[in-house]
Amino acid sequence: MNKNEFMDTLLKAAKEKGIEAAEIYYRAGDNFNARAQRGVIDHYEVSSSCSLSFRGMVNGKMGFASTEAFDEQAIAFLVDAVIESAALNEAEEQDEIFAGDEKYPDIEEETDDLDQVTAEEKLALAIKAEKAALDADPRIGQTEGVVIMTENGQVALRNTYGLNLTNAQRFYAAYAMPIAKDGDSTAVGFKLSYGRKLREFDAEKLGKDAAADAAAQLHAEPVASGEYRIVFRHDAMQSLLQVFCGIFSAERAQQKMSLLAGREGEEIASPLITIMDDPLRKGGLATAAFDGEGSATRTKAVVEKGVLKTLLHNRRTAKIQGVQTTGNAMRSGGMHVSPTNFYIVPGEKSLKDLLRDMGDGLMITDVSGLHAGANPISGDFSLLAKGFVIRGGEQAEPVERVTVAGNFYQLLKAVRAVADDLDFPGSPIGSPSLDVGILTVSGK
Amino acid sequence: MLQTRIAEEVLAKAVSTGADFGEIFLEDQTETTISLKSGRIETVQPGRTHGAGIRVFVGTQAIYVYTNDTSREGLLACAEKAAAAVNGGKGCKPAPFNVVHAERPEEIRLLPTEVKASAKAEKVREAAAAARAYSDEIVQAQVGYLDRVQDVLICNTEGTFVTDRRVYTRLNVSAVASDGKENQSGGMNPGGLMGFEIFDGRIDPAYCGKEAARQAVTMLHAPVCPAGVFPVVIDNGFGGVIFHEACGHSLEATSVAYGISEFSGRLGEMIAAPCVTAIDDGTIMNEWGSTHVDDEGMPTGRLVLIDHGKLVNYMIDKLGGRRMNMAPTGSGRRQSYAWAPTSRMRNTFIAAGEDDEEEMIAGMGEGLYAKYMGGGSVNPATGEFNFAVNEGYWVKDGKIDHPVRGASLIGRGSDVILKIDRVGKNCVQAQGMCGSVSGSIPVNVGQPMIRVSSLTVGGR
Repeated sequence: MNKNEFMDTLLKAAKEKGIEAAEIYYRAGDNFNARAQRGVIDHYEVSSSCSLSFRGMVNGKMGFASTEAFDEQAIAFLVDAVIESAALNEAEEQDEIFAGDEKYPDIEEETDDLDQVTAEEKLALAIKAEKAALDADPRIGQTEGVVIMTENGQVALRNTYGLNLTNAQRFYAAYAMPIAKDGDSTAVGFKLSYGRKLREFDAEKLGKDAAADAAAQLHAEPVASGEYRIVFRHDAMQSLLQVFCGIFSAERAQQKMSLLAGREGEEIASPLITIMDDPLRKGGLATAAFDGEGSATRTKAVVEKGVLKTLLHNRRTAKIQGVQTTGNAMRSGGMHVSPTNFYIVPGEKSLKDLLRDMGDGLMITDVSGLHAGANPISGDFSLLAKGFVIRGGEQAEPVERVTVAGNFYQLLKAVRAVADDLDFPGSPIGSPSLDVGILTVSGK
Repeated sequence: MLQTRIAEEVLAKAVSTGADFGEIFLEDQTETTISLKSGRIETVQPGRTHGAGIRVFVGTQAIYVYTNDTSREGLLACAEKAAAAVNGGKGCKPAPFNVVHAERPEEIRLLPTEVKASAKAEKVREAAAAARAYSDEIVQAQVGYLDRVQDVLICNTEGTFVTDRRVYTRLNVSAVASDGKENQSGGMNPGGLMGFEIFDGRIDPAYCGKEAARQAVTMLHAPVCPAGVFPVVIDNGFGGVIFHEACGHSLEATSVAYGISEFSGRLGEMIAAPCVTAIDDGTIMNEWGSTHVDDEGMPTGRLVLIDHGKLVNYMIDKLGGRRMNMAPTGSGRRQSYAWAPTSRMRNTFIAAGEDDEEEMIAGMGEGLYAKYMGGGSVNPATGEFNFAVNEGYWVKDGKIDHPVRGASLIGRGSDVILKIDRVGKNCVQAQGMCGSVSGSIPVNVGQPMIRVSSLTVGGR
């Protein structure tokens, strides 16, 4: 059965079995992924895959099911599973199948050249980037690989009210991970590039920048344990924001999993902090005119000059709180809430100026183990970190094997300066570098 | 799942342009997830994962193509894409299939697909109710239930043609305690390579709920952990995550075969303290990380990694074996057909030793006793690892003094396994999901109580 036929048959079968309203959320993707290592392509992957999430209202309650098989058997499975699932749903406030908004925002489409670049050309780019990394510095003897990938993804949302929406997401990404060795010291560099125009991708620059990143970290040592003034560079700050952005979800707030519940209108961050959720951002990786339940999306400030303006909502969480949805529904298992293109608005100072103003302290450039060392429920974090000592406002020796610990809620309030270097490192979530005041560092 | 005649045709196509190895991995999985929040079942989601991956090798180069279309035409189209990506190569003549069904030591008494969702929901409610009942400070109990029945077929040009059924059941309980200003959480996540009979004695939902709640409430009233370098005692069970992160990943061919791991080229050397013996065992009945055959069709086994401090084995998949000129160890695993397999851990643990648990703490002076660990991660190239302590206690003068929260432990794998100076007697297994280049897979970690003579404790 072809996919359109399958979807039509499924919606019809749902009606016949007494499902009052039903909706299909369909995702499909054609992906390419290759890795160069030691001058050859050692891993090459292509795929063509799709999945279908189905939900339906039975006796006023929502049931869910999903499939990757698209045969007759799958239709019977989905319909029966939704009915069984709905019967067990006890949520006080139910999700709804939405008939659709009158108008959806226009998305400024960016052209791409992904279809014009052949597989051979992509492989050559990966090999070129790896060679550039290896040639850049005699201390780079090998790499963990240079990966190049392209993604061509589509989403379709269809329901029994006749709503039929589609969105496409096409981009490339490439990253390099060279290994620098000098004496006993080993360091792994990382640089990533992504976008829609592969012909504009500078493979040589990626390799060189990644090599420089690795070399700069050589001979890093822990600093003494203590309290330090800290600047989180944009990439490390982005990692933090990514794990903690869930605190802005109304769903989590209503489940008492976020301390921002009921605090709209209050000052929750430094007046220097403005946070935007912008689903219409040109070229954003989460750019879309509709959300996971078919609501029109819109750009909004979540935090404006330190004041919490709104949490992020889907239709259900909005109904519970008596407000309008913010168009942040996300379909994953059930219906949840997720940010779109979500970022801290940049300031006017350069990172250099931020460091100069700080004087002495640490610049953190990388944090790892976020799934373990950062607790989105308490806001506490204690993370393995890397970076540089900042002495007299200048970048000095590299630092590793330290932890930096604090609490994200307190960190938002403690921000002393925001740099102008907003970046989205292959993610819809972005941040500029921030001077966050004093944090505890554990080292030697 | 697939006729041998079609499998032959697809493999022949895949290796037609010079590949010297071809493989089909076909999967059909039915799963159910249930989630409860705020005292109510919110979603019950039955799902079906279905697809196939075709892999070919040209020497040490791997090409992987996957699809949801497992019809003859779909598979042939995949094979054609794989063949088209091959550039030269000596080719191979596919061997005739030896058709087998993987041996399964366990008996599945209650296949999850034959258990009503309402019975599963009951277990979820029981855990949540127990968490709520523990204390007024518990403001949220979230419980997730997961089961999977994964049917796979793995065949290749070396004559392997094996079918297998893997049945998993797991309960995830998390509790949040709050005093209005601060939140702390606790969790329990038991599971097994078992059907719904896991609830007949092996998983007690009420105990899990209560224990998650106890952790959360304990941590709510704990001051933050001090920062610095201290001796650390790590309790049994999930404490084994220290070996998993500090050493396990660095013994996988995924990093060893490339010479990237800090343990590359060190077989036969003393890499750990003599009290440390570490094992990766896929054969333990009903354990979460156990396998019958790996995802490359090779029978599972028990592999000693470190014998009294000496490195004796790596975990090796087929491709890693080609790179290392060593035999694979049945360690090829993947999340699903959408991932090419690579070398991964199964049930990986530090074996029981002879040291006395009470002496370990009594003799440590000042330091940290980590009762429950959270997850962690490692960079095998540098060996730098980190993991979180979910429930910790500060030890003063050899006595447990007070609970501490927010601690993490960091270090370099090769240092820390040399600094283990005590290994207790009672080895316990615990369940986790391990993420790596071939996706997220079920694994056990495990150990008896151990002591590390000095470790960097991240706190505030």
